[in-house]
Order: sequence, then structure tokens, then C-alpha cells
Amino acid sequence: MNRGIALELDSYRLAQHVGHIACLICEQGNTLDADVCRHCFAPMILAHQAQSQKVNPIIFAALGPSGVGKTVYLGMLLDMMSRRPHELQVSARGGFSVTLQQTTLAALARCEFPSKTPNEPDRWNWAHCQLHTPRNPLPIELVIPDIAGEALFQEVDHPRSYQVIHSLLSRSDGVLVLIDGTKLQSGSLDEDYFTMKLLSHLNEVGRDSKNDRGARPVALIFSKADQCESCFDDPTGYAERHAPGLWRVCQQRFRKHRFFAAGVAGACAQRATHGGGLQSIPLRVEPRGIVEPFEWLVENVI
Amino acid sequence: MRIPKRMCGTLLSAYSTACCRRKAPAPEPIEALPEAVPDLPELSVDKPLKPAGEQSLIDEMLSQSRYALLLRPQIIGNLTPGQLIRTQAALADGMCLVPSGEVVLHPSADDEDGGNRFSNRRTPLRIDAYYLDRYPATNAQFQQFVACGGYEQLAIWDQEIWPAVLDFVDQTGHPGPRFWRKGGYPNGEANHPVVGICWYEARAYARWAGKRLGTDAEWVKAGSWPVSMAGHPLLERRYPWGDAMDRERANLWGSGPGRTVSVDQFPLGVSVGGVHQLIGNVWEWTADAFILEDAAPETNAAPQPKMKSVRGGAYDTYLDTQATCQFRSGDYALARKHNIGFRCAIGMCDLKNTDSSAEPGHLPQESPAIAEAPR
Repeated sequence: MNRGIALELDSYRLAQHVGHIACLICEQGNTLDADVCRHCFAPMILAHQAQSQKVNPIIFAALGPSGVGKTVYLGMLLDMMSRRPHELQVSARGGFSVTLQQTTLAALARCEFPSKTPNEPDRWNWAHCQLHTPRNPLPIELVIPDIAGEALFQEVDHPRSYQVIHSLLSRSDGVLVLIDGTKLQSGSLDEDYFTMKLLSHLNEVGRDSKNDRGARPVALIFSKADQCESCFDDPTGYAERHAPGLWRVCQQRFRKHRFFAAGVAGACAQRATHGGGLQSIPLRVEPRGIVEPFEWLVENVI
Repeated sequence: MRIPKRMCGTLLSAYSTACCRRKAPAPEPIEALPEAVPDLPELSVDKPLKPAGEQSLIDEMLSQSRYALLLRPQIIGNLTPGQLIRTQAALADGMCLVPSGEVVLHPSADDEDGGNRFSNRRTPLRIDAYYLDRYPATNAQFQQFVACGGYEQLAIWDQEIWPAVLDFVDQTGHPGPRFWRKGGYPNGEANHPVVGICWYEARAYARWAGKRLGTDAEWVKAGSWPVSMAGHPLLERRYPWGDAMDRERANLWGSGPGRTVSVDQFPLGVSVGGVHQLIGNVWEWTADAFILEDAAPETNAAPQPKMKSVRGGAYDTYLDTQATCQFRSGDYALARKHNIGFRCAIGMCDLKNTDSSAEPGHLPQESPAIAEAPR
């Protein structure tokens, strides 16, 4: 004997699975209820916000090896741009966009550097902001992700291992490349090689890869310049002296590039850990040269 | 006319630098100076007149803000009444008296939660009464030190730093602060705090002026102005003007022009005792070593042997929590930064007490030594 069971048919719920929206980064299809893209793990809220505003945001990529200071730079930049009465201002779109500056400044206030960005793309911080410039009456939508350095170099060594990075490098309108100024000063060639490798890859995957000299603006920033102050005096000369390979690649392959120096911590101390390593401690927050590369990039993109 | 031998003996033996002028920019012969200083009060006929050379030397020291040397017990007896009055006036103009009492130094991490108005986490330190410069040392004042050949007088430099003194040059290779040119400060910045000097340069200047760098505890006491009430925890201010940040009162990131300003600007930021710009404009070297305070068990609080403590925040200090009386930062002793200056101190016990109002009972008792800040 069959006994019927009354089931409520919530068919309307299926609609959100049927709906289709393209990821802002990799441009592949996703369902409307997806939190992160099922292809590249970029947050789908970026796509929803772009769709609701009916504007295509510009994308900046901050690149550099692990430990170079990408998170600190981006967090500090966003905080300064959102707090300071300045020609260029940013205002966050959504709470998630404030997380990066909040975690960075909270760590610096404790005299610590923020934790290392995890390799998993769904755990990265993404900032979606509105950029207010004196030249444009309407705000400009801007997306900047804080990507992990290790993941970046895995992608460079093994292309398409991180779909999100591959798409970002292809799609980004401007690039901030961070280089550890202190390592260059100490004579280490690693930073030079890392950055050359990165720029070569960037040039290959860029939109205008057919062009010998890419038109995409690239701001090269010597980070931790508070510990090697000669960076501030002449960043281009510093690059020529301490990173000749990188300097030559930029001259040959990037039509719009410029060197900058930036520092967030006024001074750092070293603390020995029980593991035998050294931990760097920021002793105070004195941002220098943070906004200038971003301003230059915006000027060259918009 | 030669400088009287007795005077030279006193000065040179106690402070070998007082008469030593190895590199004066425009050496003016002492013989050419006027024989009498017009604004001195008349001396009675029964008192011996001081030789003109001696007077001019004292006047010169007063013009160089080296009044603290003249008030030393070994020297003060050589001053005429008029010179004594002027010297004491210079002291009152240039320095503030901070009474003896207790102060608590917090770990910097304590400032995260908005500071501790009531200091009961640590044992209070007792420090003796002292004088602290009313303003940070200025370019004009430091120019006097440079012009007097301060960088050539090895006696005022720590012996350990002698090899490095030759490297303390400006942009053009002349002895002087890092950002100067041709031995002179930038135009229009005479009254700005001197920056681009390392800890050793600050210390040498202080010695030349007959003073010293203040300790961490002294600096905090001048700013937080603690009040001790029997049976209650020490009451301290978070900022010299009170407990709330007011960016109108200090040259910090976002509140000033983004560079150093004259030391007499931001007058609303004055402390209870009359000390200006303890917060903002430039960090200030103190005498103490900088040691990381760390409660985390997995790490070692490794001493930073080359680091010295700086306090007060600067024009580019970003966080309010790092521009408080209690916040301490540090830098390498040889660092010559764009935003670190200094101000000098001197123990009250180091000066000859000639002011009747400063007798015991009126002011806190003197003691032979200044308590040191905790390491």
C-alpha cells in the first residue's frame, strides 16, 4: 500500500541555482548563490557588485615574493586613502573590503606584522573600492586583491596552477610590483631573479603580449625602504645599481614603468625565536612613499 | 687680552670643551670684544671687577644656551650678580622644573586598549627633581655646537664612537646633521627641531651644553605628570594635555603640514609643567637603551644592543596609540633619521641651588643620583 507524503515544492529555490553570473576575474559561469567562483575561487560578490552597478571595475594587482610586504603595503594604502583628505580618495564597497586594512593596522598597532597570507585563494582579502579623483566626476570602481607570494611564484613556475592568478595577471589594468629593498642592499640576487621572472611572466600573459613593450603601467616599489633610506633619494638609481637585471627588463619590455620606494615601519627590531630564526618587529608606523606609486598608476590607467 | 688663567683653569678642568674653539666659522678675537657688557648691573666698588675677557666668555656661553655649565657649583662662584641673574633667567626661559616623584613605565602594548589612566600594573619608580628643556633642541642651537667645533672635540664624544665621528657629515661632507648643507641648516628652519642626528650626536651636544639626555622615566614624568594620592594608584595623563587625543595640539600625521614645524608651534600641546611638543613634530632620543618587552613565551626578548629609546611621536606618526606619553619606540644609536631629534635635561642636584624658592620644603628634596629607567 502506498502512502502519499505531502512535500512542499519550493521550486523558487531552484531559480537561484539556475541563474548564471560570470566571475569578474576569470569570466566563467557560476550560479547566483555561489560565494566564491567554482573555477578560480575569487569572491563572487565582486561580480554581483559589478553587475548591480553596471560598470566594469578596473583591477590592480599587487605582486611580489612572499614576505616582501604586499599585505602591509595594501592595507596601509587603503587605510591612508580612506582616512586622509587627499585628492585621491577611496571608499570601501562592502564590509569585506575593509578587512584588509583593519587586520593590517590592528597588527601594526600591536607592533607586529600581519600574518602571512595563506595560499588558498578563497582565504585571500579582496578590496573593492570606489576611487574618487578630481578628474572624474563619477567614482571609479577598483578591485585590488592581496594574493599570496608563494602561490604567485607557483603560478609563475607552473602556469595555470592558480587560475585566479592567471586571470588576474591577464586582466589587471595596472600592476604594483614590490621588491624587498633591504635584500637588494645586502647584495642578495634572489630579489632580482624573482622579479625578473615575474615581469617576464607578466609580459607574456598580458593583454598586449604581442607588443614588444607592454603598455600596461607597472609601478615597481622598493619595500622596507625605511631600512635602506638611500632608496628614497633615487629609486631608479637604486634599481640600476642593485638590480641591474630587473632594471634592464623594465627598460626593454615595459613602456610605462617607474621605480618608487616605500616604507611603513619607521624602524624594526629583530627578535630571536625559539626555532632559531629571527622575527622582525615594527617599532612604529610611519608611512612613507605609500600613496605615490598608486597615484602614478591611477594617472596612467584612467 | 688673554682669558684669565684662573677662569680657564676652572672651565677647562671641569669641562674641557668650554674654551676650546677649534673650528669657529668666524673667529672673533676676544681682544676685540667690548670691555664691558652694557646690560650688566653696576657692581659695588668693594667687589673686584671681573676681567672683560671673562665676562665676554660668560656672555658667549649664555648666547650659546650653555647656561647650565655656568650654574654648576664649581663655576657659579665666578659669576657677577648680574651674570648670575641672567644665567638663572636663561635657565628659567629654556628649561622647566619637573618635581621629584613617582612614575610608572608601561609596556607599549598597554596602549592598545586606550592606555591605563590608573597605573597599578607596575611598581612606580621614584625619580629626583630635574630640569627638562622647554623645547626640543633647534637647528640654531645645534649650529652653535657645530660652529664651536663640537665635532672635533673628542672629549665630549663617547670613546667607542670616535671612529664614526668623521662620518657624521651633512649632504656636502661638512660635519653636521645629515640633512644640512655646507655646515648650515636649511633656510627658514632655524627654529625647527634639529633632525638627522644620531644618539651619539645628541649626547655630545648635551655634554657640550652642560646637560645630558633625559631618561625614559624622566621623559614620561614630564609628559604624563603623575599625581600620587595616598592609598590610590598613580594618576597619569595619556597625553600632556589630558587623556584624549586632540590633533590640534600636536604635529602628527594628518594634523600638520607633513614635515617638521617650528618648536613653538602647537602651543596647546604644552604639558602641565610647561614643556612643549613632547608629543609630535619629532621623536626624541632618551638616554636609555631600547629593549623589546615581550611576554610571549615562544620568543626571546632579545636585547637590542645598538638601539636606543625614542619617545613622543613625530610629524609622520600614523597611529594615535603611538603618540602617547607612555609609548616607547627605538632606533639604532647610529641612525640619523629625518624625524628624530632630542631635548636635554639636567638634574636639579647638579646645579648650584641659589633660588630661595627651591629650598627644601618649597620644592622636592634633592638626591645625589637620578633613578634610572628600568631596562
